[in-house]
Amino acid sequence: MEVRECEGRTTLDGLRQAGCLKARFPRSDDAGWLAVVTMNTSGGVAGGDDLDSVFVVRPAARATIASQAAERFYRALPDGGPSRVRNRIIVAAGGVVEWLPQEAILFDSCNIRRSLQVELAEDAWFLGVESLVFGRAAMGEVVNRGSLSDVIELRRGGRLLLHDAVRLDGEVAATLRRRAVADGAGALATIIYVAPDSEERLEPLRRLGIGASVRDGMLIARMLRVTGAALRTTVVDALQVLRGRRRLPRVWLC
Amino acid sequence: MILKPVPMPVGGIITMTMRELMRLLAWLSPSFPTGAYAYSHGLEWAVECGDILDEATLGGWLTDVLMHGSGRNDAILLRHAHRRADLVQLNDFAIAISASRERWAETLDQGTAFIVAAAAWSPPELPDRVAHPVAVGALAAQHGIDEDATTAAYLQAFVTNLISAAVRLVPLGQSTGLRVLAALEQVILAVAKETRTATLDDIGGCAFRADIAAMHHETQYTRLFRS
Repeated sequence: MEVRECEGRTTLDGLRQAGCLKARFPRSDDAGWLAVVTMNTSGGVAGGDDLDSVFVVRPAARATIASQAAERFYRALPDGGPSRVRNRIIVAAGGVVEWLPQEAILFDSCNIRRSLQVELAEDAWFLGVESLVFGRAAMGEVVNRGSLSDVIELRRGGRLLLHDAVRLDGEVAATLRRRAVADGAGALATIIYVAPDSEERLEPLRRLGIGASVRDGMLIARMLRVTGAALRTTVVDALQVLRGRRRLPRVWLC
Repeated sequence: MILKPVPMPVGGIITMTMRELMRLLAWLSPSFPTGAYAYSHGLEWAVECGDILDEATLGGWLTDVLMHGSGRNDAILLRHAHRRADLVQLNDFAIAISASRERWAETLDQGTAFIVAAAAWSPPELPDRVAHPVAVGALAAQHGIDEDATTAAYLQAFVTNLISAAVRLVPLGQSTGLRVLAALEQVILAVAKETRTATLDDIGGCAFRADIAAMHHETQYTRLFRS
């Protein structure tokens, strides 16, 4: 997908979709922004699936990309390959991207290789969140075993700024119970915010009790909660701090 | 003069000369001026909020950091530096995996101080600000010191420093700290073995609460440590 700026508005400049990945463009609440909603019409990701997305944001364009629903990662067959998901976002000078997918829900024996690659021009802004829910507690689901590699790689002006890799292999539930790991929590979110005001947003975020830090003009926040529902509440609060009064994409509210 | 081979239950047997052993002992000694004593890797926060309060919780926390956190990642970085990877690129990567400001300062301040202190052993050309495991791996390789031995010694120095921090913070008795160190030997050997064949794609982990503790430490009101 390519988007560009034209007289203060952001418009679609190219779109190619194939297979189960689709994009829709609901009316945006914010003037100047393009709202993008991605959907996976297959209803979930199984072992061997390969999902690839590339978003190119031209100079001064602004886009909010959200997913229509939480993504499910199902059990992978022992002899099948992993589920591969690659998302790449390229933001040109003065461009702004918000990457706001909903949670990834992991099922027992899933096998996931997921990456988010972000390439920012020196003065581009970026806000991204990735949330992982290890089994829906209300449904009695537990991820006893599995394999997960979830990488966020961010470059600014060509220079590698962040390589954040979550890796969990083997006895997932037992590992998550460990005290320096998750102490029994079943839901994790990481938020990355690269913008000139990242330093000013740190204190308000910390007042919510969220662990966060700023280095190299980039804010990183990590939060663990017992359930996916509790995590969503925390992530929504954090996004409000980082996005001001702007409303969340409507797909987040239904 | 060659030492008798040192048995390494997991990593195997290594051979090193007396001179190599002396250098490894010097560079990874607590008195080598890297400023390690000033860093707790977020332990100070974990003690403050009661996550670490005794021998068992300290041993458990450090096991997680070794197996699922910085210990394992540092071991992979050190091994790659030892194999003379592109050190500038490797160092950029080592810096990019820091999830918080104090972690970032912890590895860069120690690595940079390490190379300054190693001037007497003519260290290799390295970036001005260098991550600790990259600095140690590159210097050991320059002097032909065994990669497995350097990895195990680095991890041992890493946990020894954190145990010493915990002994002061909790506080715990010296003998308690030493029991934790003895118990962690097998964990260090396991991590050293597992990282032997690891690539940079294997970097990562899940010591989420250790990462979050390091973030919260930045806000800790009364503190002895810089991380």
